[in-house]
Amino acid sequence: MILVAIIIGCVLGAVIGINLPIISYTYSTYLAIAIIAALDSVFGGITGVLKGEFDFKVFISGFFCNAILSMLLTYLGTKLNVDIYLAAIVVFVGRMFLNLTIIRKYYIDKWSKKFEEMKKK
Amino acid sequence: MIKQTEALILGIMCLILTIGICVQIKTVNISGTTTNSNKELNNLKTQVLKMKEKCDEIYEKIDVSQKELEKIRKNVTSNDEALKVLEEKINNYNILSGFTDVKGQGVRITLTDAVMTNTLRNLYKDKDLIIHDRDLFLIVNELKISGAEAIEINGQRILENTAISCDGNVVAINGEKVSSPFIINAIGFPERLASINGADGYLRELEEYGIKTTFNVENEIIISKYIRGNKFKYARAIK
Repeated sequence: MILVAIIIGCVLGAVIGINLPIISYTYSTYLAIAIIAALDSVFGGITGVLKGEFDFKVFISGFFCNAILSMLLTYLGTKLNVDIYLAAIVVFVGRMFLNLTIIRKYYIDKWSKKFEEMKKK
Repeated sequence: MIKQTEALILGIMCLILTIGICVQIKTVNISGTTTNSNKELNNLKTQVLKMKEKCDEIYEKIDVSQKELEKIRKNVTSNDEALKVLEEKINNYNILSGFTDVKGQGVRITLTDAVMTNTLRNLYKDKDLIIHDRDLFLIVNELKISGAEAIEINGQRILENTAISCDGNVVAINGEKVSSPFIINAIGFPERLASINGADGYLRELEEYGIKTTFNVENEIIISKYIRGNKFKYARAIK
């Protein structure tokens, strides 16, 4: 069910995105950091669903807060001439790997259990 | 029911995410990435530096070989009176063609662009307040009229085929870019050269536009040589 929703979302998004106009190059850094934030949120969401503690209020607020904060940090970085957005990327990507580990373990457990049951039969 | 909303929200998130990714990829594809342009910039910089180094090396070689040539010439001519006359002739022609450093009494003129003040701005256009190729050309011409024997502007020797041209916001002399402040050295009889600094000299005209000028008479001015290709492609001597 979730997998289907994700695939449909991705395909629809790709179709819409290809037909959208390009943005100014100046703002592409901000879009890039927002994409990383969104990716992190999606991974977090999938983990939440698997754990059964998914709260869509937390999920959506996290999505927008993370994206906006990281964009603000990027803007601050351009003003201070420091690549602060790198810090945001490190945090987001680190969390993504953690979430990926949880997702991986969950499916490994699930499949190994199924395998054992099949053996017993 | 709960599962459905979860799936819906995740689907919408993925939708937003892929839209963002697609737009970003399109933007980057068209504009090129910063890392790419940085790389190209660095490459070009290193190329320029390498070329400069090569240029310097070649100039050094030219210097060394010219000194050798002089030594050989001196050795050969030291024993022969007839050849000594010829050597003098060669030295003369070298000065004339700008192939050797020369020194002598002369004048030094410096020109600095006008400082843009509101009063000046009200009186003249902005382009009148900076030094143009035309100004330098007129000064060089006036110095030549006053009998200057050797002239250089910011280290660029003025030869008989030297062009002074406008190159964007700077001036090109001998193909090299020079800009304000301009230091013009001229060797010649100082009292005659001073006519440019007189009451109706060209320097007065420049000062009217706020351009700062100084005029000094010097006992010894050194003007460096300029080495260029000395082959004539079209001009042939008539025998």
